[in-house]
Amino acid sequence: MTSPAPTPAIPDGPPESIRFKRRNPVLRAPGDIWRARSLVRSLAERELRALYKQAALGVAWAVLTPISLMLVLTIVFQRVANVPTGGVPYSIFAYVGLVSWNFFSGSVTSGGMSLVNQMPLVNKLNCPREVFPLSSIAVTAVNSIIASFVLVILFVINGFAPKITSPVAIIPLIVQIAFTVAITLLVSCTTVYLRDLRHALPIILQLGLFATPIAYGLEQIPEQWRPLYSIVNPLGPIIDSYRETILYGRMPNWYLLGLGTLSTLVLLIGGLKLFRRLDMGFADVA
Amino acid sequence: MSPERAAGSIQVEQLWKRFRSDKAPRALRDRVLTMRPGANTADKFRWVLRDISFELVPGDAVGLIGANGSGKSTLLKILTGVMYPYAGRYEVNGRVGALLEVRAGLHGDLTGRENIYLYGGLLGLSRQQVTERFDDIVEFAVLEDAIDRQVKFYSSGMGMRLGFSVAAFLEPDILLVDEALAVGDSFFQQRCLDRMRDLLRQGTSLVLVSHDMAAVESVCRRGIWLKDGVLQVDTDVRSALGEYRTWLDDAYHTWIDETSGEAVFRPGTIDVIKAEVANATGGLPTSGKELVVDLVLDSPRDVEGDLCVGVTEGTASPMFIVTEGTRLREGRTRIRCTIPHLPVAAGRYYLWIEFDSGDGETRIPWQPTGPFTVDGRGLDRTPIGVMRASAIQVDASWTAPEDA
Repeated sequence: MTSPAPTPAIPDGPPESIRFKRRNPVLRAPGDIWRARSLVRSLAERELRALYKQAALGVAWAVLTPISLMLVLTIVFQRVANVPTGGVPYSIFAYVGLVSWNFFSGSVTSGGMSLVNQMPLVNKLNCPREVFPLSSIAVTAVNSIIASFVLVILFVINGFAPKITSPVAIIPLIVQIAFTVAITLLVSCTTVYLRDLRHALPIILQLGLFATPIAYGLEQIPEQWRPLYSIVNPLGPIIDSYRETILYGRMPNWYLLGLGTLSTLVLLIGGLKLFRRLDMGFADVA
Repeated sequence: MSPERAAGSIQVEQLWKRFRSDKAPRALRDRVLTMRPGANTADKFRWVLRDISFELVPGDAVGLIGANGSGKSTLLKILTGVMYPYAGRYEVNGRVGALLEVRAGLHGDLTGRENIYLYGGLLGLSRQQVTERFDDIVEFAVLEDAIDRQVKFYSSGMGMRLGFSVAAFLEPDILLVDEALAVGDSFFQQRCLDRMRDLLRQGTSLVLVSHDMAAVESVCRRGIWLKDGVLQVDTDVRSALGEYRTWLDDAYHTWIDETSGEAVFRPGTIDVIKAEVANATGGLPTSGKELVVDLVLDSPRDVEGDLCVGVTEGTASPMFIVTEGTRLREGRTRIRCTIPHLPVAAGRYYLWIEFDSGDGETRIPWQPTGPFTVDGRGLDRTPIGVMRASAIQVDASWTAPEDA
């Protein structure tokens, strides 16, 4: 009769010398993500298909949200507060800010929850986990592009033409994408550990809507505070740059946009670093 | 990944993994509370994998076995790359196809067709590669026209067939499978085993986690038994399963009294005083030879009923059973049952008995009376991928007549 094998002598814990370490997690991140780009596409496509298959109004939702907000802002700020816009129709002025804000807040909301909501997939699939928040950002980007068509209609209705400097808006756009990615990465990986963020996030974003020059212009902020403001909230100089280039035919305020870019870069690297660190424990806590 | 290692090989060295043992969800509230000075911040941990080392060469087929919570799935998750160890080194070389939970990648709102492309993408196939395999996948999954229906209207079996089929046509260097076979019907399970066998023949390495020991035995050549996160046995699959089974029996069947080593019988209105298994001369039973079961039963009164004696591999389901109408006197009755040709192969088995008088009162519940070892002939070889229902071994004579 065979007796069960005796338990071999095992120490209580591993020697510190063999602690597992990932090699260059942050340096490898961009390459990993690039190799998984088709996965980002697949996930975003899945999201978009599912989104518009289920909703009766479909694509219309992408347009209805910013339009209704724009109407509210137009009534409240233009009629009541009479915000100066420098001769630009207020609806256009506000809508430019709203579309870019919606891209940011929509990305942070859906991307921030992307890991938590797709935990079964996160736990079963070997891929750079950044693909989940990134695909949410891609979905929001598609919605924002659809919403941007309304801007064209607004231009026609108001008989207002975008200025010749409009192509320069690509620069603040790149900064905004980087900033959005940075914040979305930070929020998504911390939410896995601190689920309360799910409730705190809408409140913070609601405040952000008013703390960002969307209904009003950047010049409403006292001049001496603007540099500090641009560092804390890069969306300020970003949205201001959109307006300067598209609506006023001027160059962006490079100094403020530069400050915003600087803090965006710091946040982006920090976001990647934190993400790659917390990522190692995702499957443990979920 | 180091280039000098062959695709399809795995090296694991001194792997340790721990989990937090306070399982309560940690919310911001808790963080704030523990930030107070003097709050107990020391986290409690428990080790789920301890000092695991093993190696896989291309084409190896390993079954990971062990009780629930022994660390099998954790080990597989680390190999898949979704979890990270606390200490140690591991290397997984080549393309990994992992089937941790086949339905995980499917999206209910999309059709089967859309899901095949999506899931293929998730598993690392390009659109082009999925298109090439599309017909094979649909055929293997037996979906037919359901392919253009939303997956949320699929039965669970259809969803899991879809998931497995996509993964099975990945043609990976290493296939990691966790209990994926448990869902399908037996027809589909057999097809999955067939597919795994095909992949093995093409040189794919396989790590299979399953509680279905017959499935493990049929596909795997090697068995690794984990017990409480410690690697107990790493040897050929039959021996590993045998040792694991023996431990399972000892751990879960409490009929052996720990101090005396005597059998402890469940209370019935009839007591089992003795149950012994031997060969004709009182020695160790031998495969294909005579088996003698000696029973002594103690009944409170005269009673008539059916006495069943069965032989099992440890579970309650017998490989065979013999039943006889029996009359018990008040007091002790000796009963001897002789089986002329014991049809089981050499190994460790269990004798179970039951007595039912039909009046619902005077009976012995179906229970094991203890293990016994059978000597002699072992099991004949089974084709790879074929499941043997039980360890029955019969004699056969083979001839090769000239006039075919």
